[in-house]
Amino acid sequence: MSLTARTIRNVLSGPGLLLAGSAVLLFLLTFVLWPLVTAAATPSLQVWQDVLAGSRWRQVAFSTLWLTALSTTSAITLGLVFALAVTKLRVPGWRYFAWVPLLGLFSPPFVGALAIILLFGRNGLITSQLLGLDVSLYGWHGVWFSQTLSFFPLAYMVLVGVLRRVPSSLEQAASGYGSGSLAVLRHVTLPLARPGILAATLFVSLGVLSDFGTPMILGGRFRVLATEAYNRVTGWGDLQGGAVLGFLLLVPALIIYFVQARFAAADRFATVGGRGSFDAPLRTSGWGRGLVTGLCGAVTLVLVAKLGAILVGGFATVWGFDYTPTLSHLNWLTTRSADLINTMQYALLAAVLGTVVSLFAAFLVHAVRVRGRGALDLLTLLPAAVPGTLLGIAFVLTFNTGPLKLTGTAAIIIITMTVGALPTAYRICAAALQQVNRSLFEAASNLGAGWLAILRDLAVPLLRGPAGSAATLLFIHSIGTLSAVIFVVAPGRNLASVSILNLAEEGYWGGAAAIATVLMVLAGLVLLLARLLLGRNFRPFESL
Amino acid sequence: MTTPASAVELRGVSKSYGAVQAVRDLSLVVPEGSFTTLLGPSGCGKTTALRMVAGFIDPDRGDVLIGGKSQLGVPSFRRRAAMVFQDFALFPHMTVATNIGYGLRHRRMSAGVRSARVAEVLAFLQLEAQSGRHPHELSGGQQQRVALGRALAVRPEVLLMDEPLSNLDAKLRVRLRAELRSVQRELGLSTVHVTHDQEEALAISDQVAVMSEGAIRQVGPPRELYERPADRFVADVMGETNYLEPDAVEREGDATFVWLDGQRLVVRDATDGATAHAVLLVRPEWFSLTPCQGATLPVSYLGSEYRGASEFHSFRLPGGEPVGVESGPGSSLNMQAGAAASIHLGHGRALLTLR
Repeated sequence: MSLTARTIRNVLSGPGLLLAGSAVLLFLLTFVLWPLVTAAATPSLQVWQDVLAGSRWRQVAFSTLWLTALSTTSAITLGLVFALAVTKLRVPGWRYFAWVPLLGLFSPPFVGALAIILLFGRNGLITSQLLGLDVSLYGWHGVWFSQTLSFFPLAYMVLVGVLRRVPSSLEQAASGYGSGSLAVLRHVTLPLARPGILAATLFVSLGVLSDFGTPMILGGRFRVLATEAYNRVTGWGDLQGGAVLGFLLLVPALIIYFVQARFAAADRFATVGGRGSFDAPLRTSGWGRGLVTGLCGAVTLVLVAKLGAILVGGFATVWGFDYTPTLSHLNWLTTRSADLINTMQYALLAAVLGTVVSLFAAFLVHAVRVRGRGALDLLTLLPAAVPGTLLGIAFVLTFNTGPLKLTGTAAIIIITMTVGALPTAYRICAAALQQVNRSLFEAASNLGAGWLAILRDLAVPLLRGPAGSAATLLFIHSIGTLSAVIFVVAPGRNLASVSILNLAEEGYWGGAAAIATVLMVLAGLVLLLARLLLGRNFRPFESL
Repeated sequence: MTTPASAVELRGVSKSYGAVQAVRDLSLVVPEGSFTTLLGPSGCGKTTALRMVAGFIDPDRGDVLIGGKSQLGVPSFRRRAAMVFQDFALFPHMTVATNIGYGLRHRRMSAGVRSARVAEVLAFLQLEAQSGRHPHELSGGQQQRVALGRALAVRPEVLLMDEPLSNLDAKLRVRLRAELRSVQRELGLSTVHVTHDQEEALAISDQVAVMSEGAIRQVGPPRELYERPADRFVADVMGETNYLEPDAVEREGDATFVWLDGQRLVVRDATDGATAHAVLLVRPEWFSLTPCQGATLPVSYLGSEYRGASEFHSFRLPGGEPVGVESGPGSSLNMQAGAAASIHLGHGRALLTLR
C-alpha cells in the first residue's frame, strides 16, 4: 500500500503540475487561510476584553450550545428512526419514506422556518385556523422545532449510509441464534453503527451550531452567537466585536469537526466486509412496526405541509386571515428579479469554480499525492468547520481594504458561496478518486501519458458523475446560503436568500413565500437535471 | 567470447521503504528474447524489482538498464518497457480498440498508421469481434488479452507482467499461460514476469529467479531449479520436498554416495563438498513403490490422497519423520494405516544439498 503510495509521484510529475498545484494552493491560502488570520488579528485586545467582560456573551454562548445539543439530538433521533425504518425494518411504504427526507433538500433552513411560521405560528394554518390555538413560536422552542425538521433530512442521509454498511449477514446470524429483532438492533446493528452514528451526530451539530437563518426568523429575543454577531455588525456597526463572537463560534466548531473526523475514520475502519451480502429486513413485532410507521407518516405529512405552505403562501391574499387566491405577491418577483438573477448567475459560477477547485485539489491530494498533501487536504476541508457568520465577517475584514479590494463585486459573493460548499464538493471528488484503482494511472503513464493527459483522459471522464454531483450540491448550497453572503452583498448585488429574510422580517409572508418558491423550484429542477444527465452516477450524498 | 545481449539488467539495486528493505543489492540479467520470471512469496520484493524496471520506482542504489542504457531518471512514459498489470488496469470508459490504441496516442504517428496498428493487434489476439466493447462486457480471459494487446501495441523492447494470470480461475490460467508463452515466442519479445505460482513459473519461463527477502536466491532454467535447487528455500519454493538425514557421506572422484539405513546410494551433489551441513532432498515422485537399484527404506503406511493423474502416499520413517511419495495412476495401495511397507530410491535420483 505504501508502496504504490510512494510511487505514483514518480508517475505524475512535470512543471505544469507544479503550476496547477500552486494555483489551487494560492486560492485556498487567499480565500480560506488569509481571511481567518485577518479576522483573528483585526480585533484589538481591547475589543476582545470588552466583549468578553460583559455577561451577555456567556449567556448567548450558553444558549447556542444547549440549543445545538437539543436540536441535534432530536434531528438525529428522527433521522435514525427514519433510516432504520427504511434500511433495516422495511416498514410498509419504506420505498416512499426513503424519498421523503429528500424533500427537505429543496429548501434551506430559513425557508423551512418561514414555512413553520405559516403552519404553526400565531396565525398559522394548523395552530390557529384548524386547532384554534393561540401560540407563539418565537423563542427557543420555535427554533428547536424548526431546526429539528430542517436538519433531520441531513441526519437521515448520512445515517442511511452508516446503517447500510452494517452487514445484514451479521444481523441474520444474530437472528439465527434466536435473538428478537429489538435485541438484534440493540446488540448488533447499533453497536456496529455507533462510530458512524456519532460521526453523523457531530456532522449535523456542526450545521445546527452555525445555523443563522432559523434563529434569525424564529428566535425573537432568543439569541445565538450567529445572530448576535450579525446584530453587532449590522446594528452597531461593530465588525471587530462581531469577529470576536464569530471566533467564539469557531471554538466548538473546530472541536466538533476534529472529533467528528476521528469517528468517521473509525466508522470506515469498523465496516470491513459486508458488501454484496443481500439485505433482509429484520422481523419486528406488530406494535413496534406500527409505531415507527406512524411516526414516519406523521413526519412525512409535516414535510409535505411545509412545502405546500411555501407554494400556497405565495398565492394567498393575507396568510392567516384571507386565503383568497391572488397573484399580487408575484409582483415581488419582478421587483426583486435582479436578486433572483444574481442568485442564479453567482450560484452557477460558484458551482463551476468550486467543482474545478475541488477536482484539482482531490487530484493533487489523492492521485498525484503531492508533497504536503496533508496540509492541502486540511486546508480544503477547513471551511467545513468555519461557521458561515465568521466566514462572512472575515471576508469583509479582509477584502474591504488592503491589497485585494473586492467589496461590492460579484467575485466576493461567488467566492463566499464557493468556499462555503468547497468541503462537501471536495469530499465527493476525493472519495471517488480513492475508488479509482491506482494502477489505471500507472498504466496510462507507462503507455506514454503525462499528467495532463491522465487528468484529461482518466480523472475527468471517470469522475464525471462525482464532479456533476459536486457541482449540483454547490449550486443548491449557493442559492440557499445566507449566513456568510449576507455580509458581502451590496446594493445592486443582492441575493434572493437575503431578500426572503428581509421580507419575512418585515412580515411580507406572501412575497417571501413567492421568492422561496422560485428558489425551491430551481433547486428541484437542478436536481432533476443532474439525475437525468448523470443517471446512476448521480449519488451526491454518499460521501457526506 | 560473446555473451547474449541483455534486454534488461539490474545492477546491484536496493530500495527501502522506511525501515523495510524491499530489495537489497539485487543483480539480474534478462537475456534478449527470453522469458524471465521472478518467483517468490508475497513481500519478497519481486514486484518492487519489476516496478523499478517499469519506472514507477527509482532505486536507492544501483542501476537499471534497458537495451544496455541506464534508465535512472527516465520517467515511465519514456521507457520502452510496457507493463501488463495484475488487475489489468483497463480504462473502464474506453472501448477495447481505444484501450489498445491508448499508448499510440502519445506517440507521433498519423491516425491511419495508428488504426492500422490497432487492427493488427486486434487480429493478432483474435479480439476483432470485441473491438467496440467496453472492458466490463468482456470475460476475464478477454480482458487479459486486451491488457496484453495494449502493451504490445506500443511495440516495446521489453514486456513486463505483474502476476498477469492471478485474477483468473485455475483452468483459464493454464490455458492463457500457454497463449502468453506462444505470443512471446512468436514476437521474440524479452519479457520479465512476476508470479508467486511455481507451477506457472516452471511452465512458462526460460529463466526463473527465485527471490526471498529482497534478494535472489538462485537463477536458472526451470528444470535446473527443480532438479538441482541450491538450497532448501529454493527447493521448497519449486515444489514438494522430502528431506532425509544421511548416516554418512562419501566422495570418490566425481561421485558422491550417502549411507541410508545401511545401504550405499549414489546421489547427485549440489554442496561443493560441504559435508557437515548436507541433507538429502528427495522429491515425492523420485521415490518408487517397486524395488529398484538403490536403497530400500522400511516405513509405516499413513494414508493416500487421490490426485487424478497420480496418487500421493504418506508414510512414516522408523525415526518418526513423515515422507511423501507420488506415483502414477492406478498405484493405489491396499493397506491399513499403520501397516509396514517399504519404499525405494534409485541411484542418482536424490540430491545432496545444503540445509
